[in-house]
Amino acid sequence: MTIRNTLRDHGQRYRPRIACLKKAEKVLLEMQDPKTGVKSQPQRLVITTIPHAITGEDILSWLADRFQIDTQEARNFGSMLVALGYIYPLQDHKRLVIKPDASLYRFQTPYFWPTQQWPVEDTDYAIYLAKRNIRKKGILELHEQEQYNRLHKWMNHKWDFIVMQAKEQYRAAKERKKPDRVVFDCQERAYWVVHRPPPGTVSAMDYGLDRRIDPNADEEKTPDFYGRIMIFTQQSIMRPRVKSSVSIGALVKYCATYNGHDPFLSKCLPSNPWITDDITYWNLNMPNVEIPTKMRVERWTFSFGELLSDPRGRDDFRLFLKKEFSGENLAFWEGCEDLKWGTAATMREKAEQIYKSFLARGAPRWINIDGKTMEITVNGLKHPHRYVLDAAQTHIYMLMKKDSFGRYLKSPVFKDTLKKAVCPEEHKYSDAQLEQNAKNRRPSLSPIVLRQQEKEHRAKMAANAPVDITQLCRYTTPVPHLAVYSGISDFPSANASPSLPFLAHSPACPSPISVALDSTSASERRAEAGEGGAAGIPEARAPAAGSVSRSCMPLSLRRLLKRGCTPSTMFASLSPKYHSAAGTSSRIQPISPDQPSQAPPRRIGNFFQIKVDIPPECRIYPIESEDEDEEENRAASRGGVGAKEIICPWESLTPQNGTG
Amino acid sequence: MPLVNNKVGDDCTVGTDKALADGEALLQSLIKVVACYRHLASCVGGCTDSLQLRDELRQTREKAQKLAASICHHLTSHLRDKSLPEEQRKEMELLWVAFSSSLELLHVDMCKVFSMGDIFSLANTATLVQTGLQGGGSEVAARALSLPDLNQALTPTPAAGLESQERSTMEQEISQIDHMIDDMEMKVNVLRWMVEPHGPQYADPLSSADSASLALLSVDEEQPAQQPLCQRKQIFAFLLLFTVVLLASTLSVCIVLFS
Repeated sequence: MTIRNTLRDHGQRYRPRIACLKKAEKVLLEMQDPKTGVKSQPQRLVITTIPHAITGEDILSWLADRFQIDTQEARNFGSMLVALGYIYPLQDHKRLVIKPDASLYRFQTPYFWPTQQWPVEDTDYAIYLAKRNIRKKGILELHEQEQYNRLHKWMNHKWDFIVMQAKEQYRAAKERKKPDRVVFDCQERAYWVVHRPPPGTVSAMDYGLDRRIDPNADEEKTPDFYGRIMIFTQQSIMRPRVKSSVSIGALVKYCATYNGHDPFLSKCLPSNPWITDDITYWNLNMPNVEIPTKMRVERWTFSFGELLSDPRGRDDFRLFLKKEFSGENLAFWEGCEDLKWGTAATMREKAEQIYKSFLARGAPRWINIDGKTMEITVNGLKHPHRYVLDAAQTHIYMLMKKDSFGRYLKSPVFKDTLKKAVCPEEHKYSDAQLEQNAKNRRPSLSPIVLRQQEKEHRAKMAANAPVDITQLCRYTTPVPHLAVYSGISDFPSANASPSLPFLAHSPACPSPISVALDSTSASERRAEAGEGGAAGIPEARAPAAGSVSRSCMPLSLRRLLKRGCTPSTMFASLSPKYHSAAGTSSRIQPISPDQPSQAPPRRIGNFFQIKVDIPPECRIYPIESEDEDEEENRAASRGGVGAKEIICPWESLTPQNGTG
Repeated sequence: MPLVNNKVGDDCTVGTDKALADGEALLQSLIKVVACYRHLASCVGGCTDSLQLRDELRQTREKAQKLAASICHHLTSHLRDKSLPEEQRKEMELLWVAFSSSLELLHVDMCKVFSMGDIFSLANTATLVQTGLQGGGSEVAARALSLPDLNQALTPTPAAGLESQERSTMEQEISQIDHMIDDMEMKVNVLRWMVEPHGPQYADPLSSADSASLALLSVDEEQPAQQPLCQRKQIFAFLLLFTVVLLASTLSVCIVLFS
């Protein structure tokens, strides 16, 4: 029994609007009109005749006539009316279709029409099943039996009532004349076939989830209601507007481009699996297929988004970028996607990982984004959330789209793929073969299995992550990429070589963490210090530091001059190969080579390790706020600080530096 | 529902026994009326819909409401009585559950009849759906009202304004039932999951003869088209069997004669 407590009741129980019901009712009323509707005839049974039976072919011809449609369409329409329960078949009552022959149907009484207002109650179903059992014991089918038992378990408290009501309804029915009784029985049976379909059949009344609010109820005009309308209209006003010629042109272009690729509008090669039950199409278009189809490859050329959204396309693109040594862009983009769509539990770690791999100074796969974006991102990473890397991701996406995509389409990788792409022949199945296919239908892999496969694949990909060949330490100058970050032009890039962006790419070692662990703390710190020290001065600095900035400029220049070789030494020390090559600064920069001789723990006061001493507002900014002297002092004091990892700037203040 | 035959000659329990029996009888009749109302409601909007049907519906409804009111009063007063012994309380709760369920059914049926009356007005008989029914619901109504004769004393009054009047009365009645249900919930707290029914899971078939004929009817409906074919096949088989038997008998007779 429903206790109608609408205040505290948050259950979902209203059926969504089934708009076709009203329309079907109208059609039915027309159909049953004795003068202009479907011709009816009496049904002859052994004992009696019952009027108002209609044949299937009459229905179909009437429908075709009334709506000016062809027979197939009329058949579909008629079957829909039967499936919804407005007409029921007299023979073969379990199959709710219209047969275009002389099989008989009858109109359902309005009491049993499907409605939205009153859901179909289990109590009624229980009464119906009990009634049938009373009439003849053991007549219930297997699924009905199961339902009966289930209802008996769940509505146990009402069971006496149900049985009594069933008996009373049965007795009341006996009072009626025989033909009427038969008709009523048929009506009720048809009603329950529609609303409690036997297993394995598809019900037309399948409407999905229940709604929280009643779609038929009028909405109260509360202030909240008007508030919502106001917000909606305001947003509509603020929507950007486009000239219709432009928007229509875009639509036309879209339709023209995608017309050949739409399985509804044009052929699906080799054949549409939903129609012919042949899954070649799906096999050929699997996400990780070796050789894609021509249509698929053509689709990649439509837009960059298409290329990226297709896993095979993305693989191809990744290969191309690997050859071009700019794979970090795509990797960063994928990392951002992972962050955006991933679970909330791992978000923090993912953000950190991405920062360390791509955005931090000294990151192994440093991406080239402008200073403003980097600033915003790093600011946001203090409190990481799902969309914190959005700006950077958009920037990189645009970069790839404008730059790499064009080159990809002209590249040999793509041309090769296009040449190898397969164009399958169209299947031509006869009816018998179609039936055979339908019989041989097999279920596909369970989604659990698929997900596991995907996970393994991803793990494999991660394990074989390409050592980023962009880390061209030998070929790049170690000049810190400050000019990129800070955007401050006052720092003369005289000493900075033009190939700034490649600075942060450490040599072959992939992760700064392992690298850092390998190397001596001093050298790393020095290196980081060098980078940090040379890093530019972000604009949004604490005002207190502002005064220092100007003085820092020459300081940093000096530092750079002093530190010029440091990156090289860092690289040198970090890379196992280069241990011997320490001090070979000749290729790097024409800076005084006396660098390496300096005492190792010169200054630790760098970007990453200031968390103990430096006030929080300066933490995310490069060390420019301090004097070199201060740094040296601090360095001395903090000689033994053991943070060997790149510590993310948003890490909370902990006395221990252990956590990365 | 089995009658409680409590032969204990206790004064206080006798009173409650009687109350229980009363309640049961009332409930039985309410259930009967609700069942009949449902049968009548299924005719609304069909080709047998008429003023008479609506009238019968109204009468049945009124009877149901009277019964409902009395049962409500009866059960509420007894269940609120704290001094009721445990067994009696259980029985009362059972009655309560049955009563509330039948009220719900009645409520739904009334709402349906109300909205169908909206759509299928009797003024336009062409829109009444040809459902194949021929007779009206007079017998059912008679059963509901416990009148022995089929002839209803009242003739249907074909007043034009009656329909709208009826509709407003109906609305009132529906809201009355609504309130009754709500009231019941408020006044008495019956824990439905504690209520255990007495009856069996499967109701026994009531009368086999009638059920057989009805079953035959439905079977007929199932395969009327296939019947002639079956019959022909059967006739052929019988003929064949007959000739074989005849042959065998003549042969045996010959053997007997000539041996």
